[in-house]
Amino acid sequence: MSNNNGFEPQITAFGCIYCGYMAADTAGTLGWEYPANVKYVKLPCTGKIDVRYILSAFEQGADGVYVVACPLGNCHHVKGNERGKKRVERAKKILDEIGIGGERLEIFFMSGGQGKTFAAAAETMVERIKKLGPSPVKRKV
Amino acid sequence: MAGDGYTQQPNYPITPSPNRPTTPAPIGAVMVVGGGIAGIQASLDLAEAGFKVYLVETKSAIGGHMAQLDKTFPTNDCAMCTISPKLVEAGRHLNIEILVDTEVLDVKGQAGNFTATLRRKPRYVDLTKCVGCGDCEKVCPIVLPDSFNEGLSKRRAIYRLYPQAIPSAYAIEKRGISPCRDACPVNTRAQGYIALVREGRYEDALRVIKEENPFPGICGRICNHRCETACNRGLVDEPIAIKDLKRFIVDQVYAKPRPRVEPVPRTRPERVAIIGAGPCGLTAAMDLVKQGYGVTVFEALPVAGGMLRVGVPEYRLPSWIVDREVQDIIDLGVELRLNTPVTNLDDLFKEGFNAVLIAVGAHEGKKLRIPGVDLDGVMVNTIFLRDTRLGNPPDIRGRTVLVLGGGNVAMDVARTAVRLGAKKVKLACLETREKMPAHPWEIEEAEEEGVEIFPARSFTRILDDGNGRVAGVECVNVKFMEFDSEGRLNLETFEGSEHVIPCDTVIFSIGQAAGLAFIPPDTGVGTTRRGTVAVNPNTLAATRPGVFAAGDVATGTAFVIEAVAAGHRAAESIHLYLQGKPLERPPRALELPVVKLTRAEINQRIEKGEIKPQPRVKMAALDPATRVRTFEEVARGYTEEEARAEAARCLACGICSECLSCYYACGTKAILHDQVERIEEVQVGAVILAPGYEVYHAELSEEFGFGRFPNVVTSLQFERLLSASGPTHGHVQRPSDNQPAKKIAFLQCIGSRDQKHDYCSAVCCMYAAKEAMIAKEHLPGTEIHIFMMDARAFSKGYEEYYRRAQERYGVKYTRCRVSSLKENPANGNLIVRYQAEGGKTNGSSTLVEEEFDLVVLSVGMEISPQVRELGAKLGVQLDDFGFCKTIPFRPLETSRPGIFAAGPFVEPKDIPESVVDASGAAASAEALLAQVRGALARHKEYPPERDVRGEPPRVGVFICHCGSNIGGYIDVPAVTEYARTLPNVVYAENNLYTCSQDSIARITEKVKEQNLNRVVVASCTPRTHEPLFQDSIRAAGLNPYLFEMANIRNQCSWVHSHDRETATQKAKDLVRMSVARVSRLEPLYKIEMPLEHSALVIGGGLAGMTAALNLAQQGFPVHLVEQSARLGGGLASLSAYYAHTDEDWGAHVRDLIARVNAHPLIHVHRETRLVETSGFVGNFASRLRNASGQEQTVKHGVIIIATGAQEWRGEAYGLGQDARVVTQREFAERLTQWEAAPATAPSSVVFIQCVGPAEKYCGRLCCTESLENALRLKKLNPRAQVTILTKDIRTYGFRERVYNAARAAGVVIVRYDEAHVPMVETGQSSAVGGQRSTLSVRVWEPVLREELVLQPDVVVVAAPLTPRADARELAGILKVPVDMDGWFLEAHVKLRPVDFATEGIFVAGAAHYPKFPREAIAQAQAAAARAATILAKEKLHAGGVVAQVDASKCTGCLTCVRICPYHVPRIDATRVAVGGIYGAAYIEAAACQGCGTCAAECPAKAIQLLHYRDDQVLAKVQALFTQPDLIPLAAVEVR
Repeated sequence: MSNNNGFEPQITAFGCIYCGYMAADTAGTLGWEYPANVKYVKLPCTGKIDVRYILSAFEQGADGVYVVACPLGNCHHVKGNERGKKRVERAKKILDEIGIGGERLEIFFMSGGQGKTFAAAAETMVERIKKLGPSPVKRKV
Repeated sequence: MAGDGYTQQPNYPITPSPNRPTTPAPIGAVMVVGGGIAGIQASLDLAEAGFKVYLVETKSAIGGHMAQLDKTFPTNDCAMCTISPKLVEAGRHLNIEILVDTEVLDVKGQAGNFTATLRRKPRYVDLTKCVGCGDCEKVCPIVLPDSFNEGLSKRRAIYRLYPQAIPSAYAIEKRGISPCRDACPVNTRAQGYIALVREGRYEDALRVIKEENPFPGICGRICNHRCETACNRGLVDEPIAIKDLKRFIVDQVYAKPRPRVEPVPRTRPERVAIIGAGPCGLTAAMDLVKQGYGVTVFEALPVAGGMLRVGVPEYRLPSWIVDREVQDIIDLGVELRLNTPVTNLDDLFKEGFNAVLIAVGAHEGKKLRIPGVDLDGVMVNTIFLRDTRLGNPPDIRGRTVLVLGGGNVAMDVARTAVRLGAKKVKLACLETREKMPAHPWEIEEAEEEGVEIFPARSFTRILDDGNGRVAGVECVNVKFMEFDSEGRLNLETFEGSEHVIPCDTVIFSIGQAAGLAFIPPDTGVGTTRRGTVAVNPNTLAATRPGVFAAGDVATGTAFVIEAVAAGHRAAESIHLYLQGKPLERPPRALELPVVKLTRAEINQRIEKGEIKPQPRVKMAALDPATRVRTFEEVARGYTEEEARAEAARCLACGICSECLSCYYACGTKAILHDQVERIEEVQVGAVILAPGYEVYHAELSEEFGFGRFPNVVTSLQFERLLSASGPTHGHVQRPSDNQPAKKIAFLQCIGSRDQKHDYCSAVCCMYAAKEAMIAKEHLPGTEIHIFMMDARAFSKGYEEYYRRAQERYGVKYTRCRVSSLKENPANGNLIVRYQAEGGKTNGSSTLVEEEFDLVVLSVGMEISPQVRELGAKLGVQLDDFGFCKTIPFRPLETSRPGIFAAGPFVEPKDIPESVVDASGAAASAEALLAQVRGALARHKEYPPERDVRGEPPRVGVFICHCGSNIGGYIDVPAVTEYARTLPNVVYAENNLYTCSQDSIARITEKVKEQNLNRVVVASCTPRTHEPLFQDSIRAAGLNPYLFEMANIRNQCSWVHSHDRETATQKAKDLVRMSVARVSRLEPLYKIEMPLEHSALVIGGGLAGMTAALNLAQQGFPVHLVEQSARLGGGLASLSAYYAHTDEDWGAHVRDLIARVNAHPLIHVHRETRLVETSGFVGNFASRLRNASGQEQTVKHGVIIIATGAQEWRGEAYGLGQDARVVTQREFAERLTQWEAAPATAPSSVVFIQCVGPAEKYCGRLCCTESLENALRLKKLNPRAQVTILTKDIRTYGFRERVYNAARAAGVVIVRYDEAHVPMVETGQSSAVGGQRSTLSVRVWEPVLREELVLQPDVVVVAAPLTPRADARELAGILKVPVDMDGWFLEAHVKLRPVDFATEGIFVAGAAHYPKFPREAIAQAQAAAARAATILAKEKLHAGGVVAQVDASKCTGCLTCVRICPYHVPRIDATRVAVGGIYGAAYIEAAACQGCGTCAAECPAKAIQLLHYRDDQVLAKVQALFTQPDLIPLAAVEVR
């Protein structure tokens, strides 16, 4: 699979305690396997996702970051996911500008029952980051 | 709650104590019947308002139908996401006691004081011990259709209703005892081991047999298997080959090396002597040794095993099998003394034995007393067989042998003689061929081996050959024979039939008896005339104390399985005897019934394809030519393939087989197979019935093929197919071939609006639209065609949703009932025949046939027989369909005072209306029981909190194995070791189940012992378990926020199960992250704030007054603000508004006004408007201004908006221009006038529907009102021509009956579509009585395809209700939203239908959307109940996870004020912001919902969300990575 000599990316996922966390739970309950590269950091709502959290993850060594949010229109806090989405878009621009690359960041929308979608998102990101290779922040070490 | 254990409470029915006072004090508890969303909502409202709640549910978990749904309309929210938090909340609420598996049997007493009798059905799993790990489910061999997935998938007999179920504990489904088990003398769990064979689990299967029978190898060969005779499979084709399967299991397991048997430690001083090492004696020896007794078995022969070893021939039962199974018993610690006949019983007692079991069997063969029995060559069966088996066979080579006897032993003798080389073997017996006691198959096999049979002979003498040797046996033919009950023979023979059967060897095989020489009469052990030891058949005690007898010696010869049964029983009696307890045991209570399948049920299961007729698999046998030469085993055993195929034929009659696999797998010992039903009582002040509906049984509408055609599914099944956690993981696959369904038809109104149902189920149109859209989202390109009569998109947002289905998703709608449906046998597709819309130009109908991959039947709602029965038991009136009748004007009250009803039990309705009903019913109960509010509510007491601020973190980590769920995939001890190395961690341990009661207590203990100030639990999901663990540290005096969970199950072991090393590494990472975060967490405190215990209700109409009155009855003062001079709102001026249902709403409203005016707690402010409101939940202050401009400020804790709506006044169809064109309400008023003078009534009226704004949203009331008014007119003038021009008739629920009545009365419905809107021409004259001909209506008739021109006397324009003009202004004052049309917008369409997102503000009545009066009342009560959840609290608790502003960083930029979805932040002029400017943002803790959006958005970073402070979140992110030397991004300019 990997075209990067066994490179195992480190990926941080941020998500809310509602749909995102529940989707992760459902993936577990139904046994949808996904790569162990992903570690989930829970927030009360994706409206709490901060550009600094995303950048900090890259700064600490993440090769990829993504956000798991409730489906658009179904946010438990009305519009938190939409605001989160905007911040992810802003962070992508910054990542592009500083040469890390916005494609290392993504946002996925899913409901709590979509365990398979959660697993698929993890796979998508791991595959994508494997192709992109280690974060340039790391490569300069 | 009576009876916490599982003791029986047989005191049913309950008779009231005569001392009980006649008017008892009310009880502050409510029983809610039904655990669906309505029951859950009612329970939560009641519990929050200070009442104890018993939530009774018949199923094993709450959640009802909503939990089965994929999405909910019209927002397409995930149903599980929305209901799951409610389930968890109900599950852990201190004052809600969830009684699952429970039925209500009776309710006695009266409003305020009821006694409910409940049947608590056994769950077989201890709710207090089960942690829901699922280890049991993995080992359960019983598979059955999963009812939660509507039969589309399978589940096990031990199950959790669905993954998110509350309670999360498992349950076992039992139907009864399977007949095979019942028929077996030792109750072998045959169904269990058969299922385990099917699963290929042979060791487990052997374990199951050995639960009851220590001789599986023996019984697998020689048992007479009465289980097979009882087997229900015999009703289909042939019984399961149970014996052969048993043998197969043994073959598989015994082929492997015999595992070492560990001796059982001796724990008791008493010793027991057992005489006889046969199956009975050895079974008893095993049981007693396992009990800890010393056991010695005395055996006269040189081998153990009794008849099994020396009686049954080798070719049927190889010696090594007997030896092995005997050895398994001996190795438990039994002392076996071979070659040791007991000659004197007294010696045993002298030797020190405390009890003796005589189990010597029946080893003495009998001879007839006829001449010649002492001749050479005469033998008896037992000696013949024993000598052969012990390697010393008599030499009968070349002899002609005649066996006398027709039983199984005789067959053994004859066939042994064949194998010993006899020239010829014959067998003669008294019985006719048909009545021979031997098994038919054994007779056949004997004949195959050359044995010649002479049936129906009586033997008179044995002839002498002259040398003292046998020459033959003289016989006579038997005419009649019979043994009487005493065992005496009645015999009639044919005279003169004497003949001789020549032979030189005779072997008697006419029965065996016990040798009882060692118990002469002076031993005190009595014997019977039949030569057996006399025993009490229940206890097996002989006549001398301490002596017992069992097996053949006590009962006469029987089968081995009976000997085993007797051995068990004897051991039990001996144990009781040695313990000094009475030997007679009471009968076991409430055993499950034996399952007898009926022919009808079998046929049904065959038709459904669940049972496929298939004869039993035959076991191979050695061919006769070979077997006569050898003692090799005749039966050859099954191959694995044969055995599993045979096992798969089992019908699993009992459902659970009690194989005990779950019992052994359970790490918390939660399985209770012996649980029995209990009857309990609860005392409650009120009852709320919310038992819900069942979907129509679609197989009853045979024409649609459900149950016959696999690709016809119900809408509920389709819902499961759409669900990501459903049987197909959200892929819409056809049941027949699992292919994607690309073309789907929905047939509407299945079980609704038909000849058997005069009501509309109110939800099907919308769920069909939803399912269609979701299906298209799952698989774009799917074609969907919905066949319907009317699109009942009658509620808020529904019309838009329905349009979206058509316009955005391209769902095709055809208005018709399909005329037929058949299956295309070639591909399983379904051919739907229907009438195309519009017809042809010549006007004739056009029938079209269209083929679909899948057909969905949109099934309606019905009331189940069980619920109807419940209604009858409780004495509440139901209608013909089982729906609950309610009191007019009190839509949530049943006919029995104090019993309320909610949800579809009252009328078919959707989720939000059920939730409204539920809250409304709760309000009714709260008003009834207001004086005892809080009387039974519990409050948890905690020790004082320890102040840990300033202490360095001392973290304790508790890591869970979760049985095998985590421990099976992750090296838990290694993670624990690792945790100990982490900074700040001072303690770490792992637990088998961290959430079990003992582990929870242990956490509390360890926090104290280790002086921990932070705790991490690494286990499962915080969504369900965090509160439990937080509670455990709070109980140790630690603030509950000093806690963090690492989800190493759902996010690790379950999803990385293939790679132990990686999963373990990730678990370490997750623990490290949690430790890093918890070290930075700080205690958070809820502060108590004062609360104004009063309400402001805005609007004095039906809804406002109802809400105000309910709150006042609950004891809360109310300010009722009405802007006009009088109360009553829209209904005040109308009389007899709903004629069809005979509801005089005018009268009700007048009565209500009087009660509101009279109530001391209601302060009515007439001609008053709300000018301004400030404050937040619990502490509002509102400025009111009256007509004269005077202002007053009132304080209150909650607000209810009930401002109603107004009739639309616009220009359409000549409204306002011609006096003959009137609105609905004007027409109703005229009807009142005409009713006084019927002659003046018009003779022709046209109603025009969907007018003005109702072109965009459905007016909800208009269809029903037009039909009601049409009927009123028809009553006045039956010949009046009434035509209703409409797009759809939306008479949802029971309103359908108005539609039916109107059609029956001759009201004509003409449908128009948007392209052909009716035209009204009013001509020149506008005066009533002028030129009448000028009023005409033109409309395009789509069926006839021509324009109709109508010339009515009156045109009624069904003007809908519209939001009040000042609604937006009020919304601005209260900072609550309105939707695009101007209706007030609730917090959540489904589950918070009367709440606003802003806490403490509620909406009721037509301000929310047009409402019928009944609906407005329900909603008003619901708003009152929701308000009471706040007002019932003594103080307001604020704080926790809330946002805080650091004023010194705030620039007052208003970002937070603008973006907060709850309108909480405000600029506080008294706070000093950046640069010393006055006016910093302030966030009221009591109102903040903790989403953190403001904190993330704040440009100055002046806001922090407590518990999620930036440093706390970042600590976790940082801990994720181990590489320390990275290039910092510090140079990057973020903003």
